[in-house]
Amino acid sequence: MVSCKHIFILLSLFLLSTVTAGSAAENIAIRAGNILTISGGVIENGIILVEDGKIKALGQEVVVPDGARVIDAKDKYVVPGLVDAQSRLYVIDGELNESRAVAPELDILDAVDPFIKERQEVLAQGVTAVCVAPGNRGLLGGLGAILKLSGGKTAKDIVLRTNVAVKGAIGISRSNQSSSLTRLENYSSIREALLETQTYMQQKRKYDQELAEYEKKKAEKKEQAKTDDQQADKGDTTSRAAKDKPTRPAKPRTNPTYEILARVLGKEIPLQIEAHRVDDILNALRLADEFDLRLILDKCTEGYKVADQIARRKVPVIAGPISTSFLDTPALEYRNHDTRNAAILSKKGVKVALGVAGRDGASSKFIALAAAMAVANGMDRHAALRAITLTPAEIFGVADRIGSLEVGKDADVVIFNRHPLDAFSQVEMVLIEGKIVYERK
Amino acid sequence: MSGSDAVTERKLLLTILSLSLCAAPVMAGAGQQTLVIKAGKVWPITGSAITNGLVVIENGKITAVGANLAIPEGAKILEMPDKHIMPGLIDGHCHLGLSLDVFAEIEETVSAVTPDMQILDAFNPLAADVTKALRSGVTTVLLAPGYKNPIAAQMAVVKLPGGKKDAGVINRSAGVKFSLGNEALMSDRRPTSRPGLIAQVREELNKAGQYQEGKFDPRAEILKRAIQGQLPVHIYCNAVDEILAAIIIIDEYKLKAVIVGAREADEIAEMLAERNIPLIYMPTLLLSNDKDLKRVGRIAAAGVKVAFASYAPRTNLSDLRTSAIIAAKYGLAPELALKGLTINAAEILGIAQRLGSIEPGKDADLVILSGDPLELTSGVEMVIINGDIVYQKEQK
Repeated sequence: MVSCKHIFILLSLFLLSTVTAGSAAENIAIRAGNILTISGGVIENGIILVEDGKIKALGQEVVVPDGARVIDAKDKYVVPGLVDAQSRLYVIDGELNESRAVAPELDILDAVDPFIKERQEVLAQGVTAVCVAPGNRGLLGGLGAILKLSGGKTAKDIVLRTNVAVKGAIGISRSNQSSSLTRLENYSSIREALLETQTYMQQKRKYDQELAEYEKKKAEKKEQAKTDDQQADKGDTTSRAAKDKPTRPAKPRTNPTYEILARVLGKEIPLQIEAHRVDDILNALRLADEFDLRLILDKCTEGYKVADQIARRKVPVIAGPISTSFLDTPALEYRNHDTRNAAILSKKGVKVALGVAGRDGASSKFIALAAAMAVANGMDRHAALRAITLTPAEIFGVADRIGSLEVGKDADVVIFNRHPLDAFSQVEMVLIEGKIVYERK
Repeated sequence: MSGSDAVTERKLLLTILSLSLCAAPVMAGAGQQTLVIKAGKVWPITGSAITNGLVVIENGKITAVGANLAIPEGAKILEMPDKHIMPGLIDGHCHLGLSLDVFAEIEETVSAVTPDMQILDAFNPLAADVTKALRSGVTTVLLAPGYKNPIAAQMAVVKLPGGKKDAGVINRSAGVKFSLGNEALMSDRRPTSRPGLIAQVREELNKAGQYQEGKFDPRAEILKRAIQGQLPVHIYCNAVDEILAAIIIIDEYKLKAVIVGAREADEIAEMLAERNIPLIYMPTLLLSNDKDLKRVGRIAAAGVKVAFASYAPRTNLSDLRTSAIIAAKYGLAPELALKGLTINAAEILGIAQRLGSIEPGKDADLVILSGDPLELTSGVEMVIINGDIVYQKEQK
């Protein structure tokens, strides 16, 4: 009897929980003391209205509709969900390098484990999206993606956008088993791959032209044959259709490497190059100049030495780690690491996003700490906060969805009890697409 | 190399060391002059924080601290109304100035037992990381050998170069480092197993117990001082089994011991507390899981005295404070986080009579920060060693 009762209670609890989880469409109104919109300044004593997973309205004059769940954050700071642009969440480091040096067609999404347990801990620090990219042992390692921390059963459930960039690397000192990959070879090998892609595209264009010509001729012949037939009906027996039959051009083999690089050359996908030393950074900039591609500089350890040149070309930088302490074993390329790098680049007008670039997936939880450390080293407070929200969203082409608190964007919202850059600030609540995914007990 | 050559070389090194200390830039030249610093907030550490406080420095020593003090005549006054001032930070375990990028130079991998080595002999005061270290806010460090020798070398306590002549080496032989971590196990020399490691440490300590004075056995001679309680032993260990082994050795030989690393020490914190064994905790920056990050708070809550270490260059010297802030964020009481950077470290290293707090009579080793010491956004504005300004952030 007792057990029966227990089963009933458990069953009803279970049903209740599924019902709550299912009600994603619940309307939420957050009454906030400070709304740090990132894109439009600070709104004091405002309201954020969330409907269907999106931000429906925000401001001081917003009317709370009947039936909306009101969350009181009057003495709190409300900010867009934080983004770690150099994350290892959902993926295992050792699995991120292919033995081939040039393999831009590999997709990080194929290495994603949505069940990874560190997700909850990172989420609890206000991170709602991460950029994951292939490792740095190859020259062109593959495609990166932006993933949300909402959790799910497949990679598709958590992906915000795939193909955000092709990850490349120049001047990485660690040995690679597959080829020599010396520094001298790095730049020229990437360049070679891009030149080959140009040839490949020419061949494809030529094939397309020839094919169009062939189709045209074929159609003409068909038309001719028709008239011939009509003439044949009239008694003319000399058929011209059989003569000079057009030959179908040979189709060039589709090459997945060049297919992806063609999209890089077409400015559809940016090329994200990890470079540390000044010469490597300058080589990456040369590639961008020569091929007129969209370059993103990754790590950019010695960027502070050539900040003017980076700023002039308007190349965005994902600076990180802010301190080599976040690395397991700082490799040789970090020799001239300077904690002021992000601050100097930012002051020179470079668009700077910050990444933790930590030792494992759980390290992404330190993104707000990394931004605070950037401030200690001279970065402007607003620029630092932008560098972990809107700037990475802009760099990876997802600013229409995340990165700031604006009407129409995803309701990825974090409530902090203090300013997010205060070391002791605690996350009270996290919403992803309008759903409460974390609440502090 | 003959013995006399070695002696000559050591003398040479000492000369270089003292020369570099003398030649270091003394920016303000305030050494002999009376210096008064007026700061927005003074953190004496041993007492509560003083808003709009004054620190008076004479001849490299602190002579007065307080809110309403008479300013001595002719004193140079530094007005810093929006800054915070605290004692120079003390790094409980690092490898500064010992090698460029790798640990290769601090690991004696041929011989497993080398207590007669002195790590100071490998210290390069002109190394790039030493000169860079001045802007970290750390003013005193414990220099330690590596992690691969069960019984490694004698550690040294030194002030960072940059001050007056009497700065520099505080203690050339501040203790012997033991390693009971798995790093000490190697495939090509003893010990190769955990029991083998403990047996070897016992063997060496037993041998030292039987050491007769006058016999030539420099290793036993040093270890005898350790088992007599004259020389502290810093035992590196991380996992619970490693820490338990350390406690067994400490009990058995009644060692004056400090635990270094101690990642999982929260599991057996009471055992350390009841024995009054202090610990120098590993850099919390090396941790990333919440479970690990919360450990150090629990260790301190159990009554164990905790100080911090950077293991520099493993983590940056400037991240010593970051480690304490992360520890505090994950549960360590903020006042203990500050003590771990200063007075607790000084007590554990046996230098608390001179360093670790802002009190009259102590060395004027101070850090001036742009804000609260436990905020990551606060940067180091100025560093003072023995009353001399050795680092000042460049003005825009």
